[in-house]
Amino acid sequence: MNDGWLALLQQAFSLLLSLNPDVWAIINISFSVSFAALLITVVPSIILGFILAFSHFRGRWVVTNLIQTLQSIPTVVIGLLVYLLLTRQGVLGDLKWLFTQQGMILGQMLICAPVMVALSQAAFSSVDRRAWETSRTLGASWLRAVWTLCRELRVPLLLAIIAAFSRILTEVGCSMMVGGNIMNVTRNIPTAIALETSKGDFAQAIALGLVLLILALVLNFILGSLRGKALPRSH
Amino acid sequence: MALSHPSVSNDAIQVHAQNVLMKYQQHTLFSVADLTFKQGDVIYLQGDNGSGKSTLMKILAGLITPTQGRVASHGFARNPWWQIDSLLGKAVYLHQHPYLFEGSVKYNLTYALKQLTLTAKERHHRIEQAINMAQLNDLLDHHASDLSGGERQRLAIARAWIAQPKLLMLDEPISNMDKHSQRLVLAMINQLKQDGTGLLISSHQTCGLTALCKQHWHIKQGTVHTSMHVPTTETVHQSNTTELHYGTTN
Repeated sequence: MNDGWLALLQQAFSLLLSLNPDVWAIINISFSVSFAALLITVVPSIILGFILAFSHFRGRWVVTNLIQTLQSIPTVVIGLLVYLLLTRQGVLGDLKWLFTQQGMILGQMLICAPVMVALSQAAFSSVDRRAWETSRTLGASWLRAVWTLCRELRVPLLLAIIAAFSRILTEVGCSMMVGGNIMNVTRNIPTAIALETSKGDFAQAIALGLVLLILALVLNFILGSLRGKALPRSH
Repeated sequence: MALSHPSVSNDAIQVHAQNVLMKYQQHTLFSVADLTFKQGDVIYLQGDNGSGKSTLMKILAGLITPTQGRVASHGFARNPWWQIDSLLGKAVYLHQHPYLFEGSVKYNLTYALKQLTLTAKERHHRIEQAINMAQLNDLLDHHASDLSGGERQRLAIARAWIAQPKLLMLDEPISNMDKHSQRLVLAMINQLKQDGTGLLISSHQTCGLTALCKQHWHIKQGTVHTSMHVPTTETVHQSNTTELHYGTTN
């Protein structure tokens, strides 16, 4: 049994190190789709987080609760929603994004945005109000003052971005439903692991699992060192 | 209660508050019928702890919206068309405990310069002047969080000065400061006065700083009283003793 596991691990490493085109195509799709979703979402999410933390408009409570609820919705439900939107009879059916990377990006945007909004709202709520007041009274425009706060909160905001990225990179439900798991088109790491495991091709599943494991270790290391740097201010 | 105020020319650079009422929850903090803070004024803002000195300053700075009333600026250059023409950045407010941004002393010092269109020469000249005035020459590359209380206050004043504000409000600028830093801050404020900057300085007690002032605003029993008579240490001491004797608080 142990020999079997060792052999599988060996095969998995061999697939990765020999730059197996199938495995690396899957890794490439996974990262490019998730990075695209993250890039599109990051600025609006942080700005919405700032608005929710700093302004007191009517209905703020409702929006905050809605975002918190969206965080806990299973990705497969978001996948279903996006599927219904993108299907030929759906509202966005004309885009023909079903079973494409664009469709996957849309789904992942809906998954990562609530995480980033909620975490950046928490970060902005914790900032010293004098930072905002100082920036504004010194003549900074609204946008520059927001940028100044982002600079002050770079560690918690980076933590929010990393948390959102790890959520979308590892989600399987939405990618499976919206992407359709098409080789070289929409097959990403989580959907490929699910497929290869069901086929009994454990070596490839383990190779892709190792990529996620290494990524998790790297992200955890970054998070740990960032948290260490985010010491409370004495002023 | 209507308050008289020395008349000001209409074209003077000023912030003008009219019929302002400030409430905190259901409690009225203060009210004022008419208040003008203009370039060249040097005003001592007096009031007990919690009377609303900082709140009044923040209202004039545009950082807080009063419960009722109107605050407007006059005589300032108009903002570009894409920016809302608000009070912010007109009368600069300095916190009692200044907030310094993450980064070096130089980053903090030059923060306000990024909004201004200056030539490299002008920019360099202003930075040099500010450094010399605040005596921060040896600390430029230090992290702002490493500064002492006095150095922080000097940096905060220099950071505001560098943008050459027409109106500057200093909230208890020399409280909890050693004598050396007090002297330096006093010299900086005196320099600002010489430059014609309108100054509004809050303090709950008279000191060398308030002796520089030519006008007096006093928040007392929920109203802002204005006068041209600045109390000396002795008169304030007597007034405080009387208030304590009769148990009057704000």
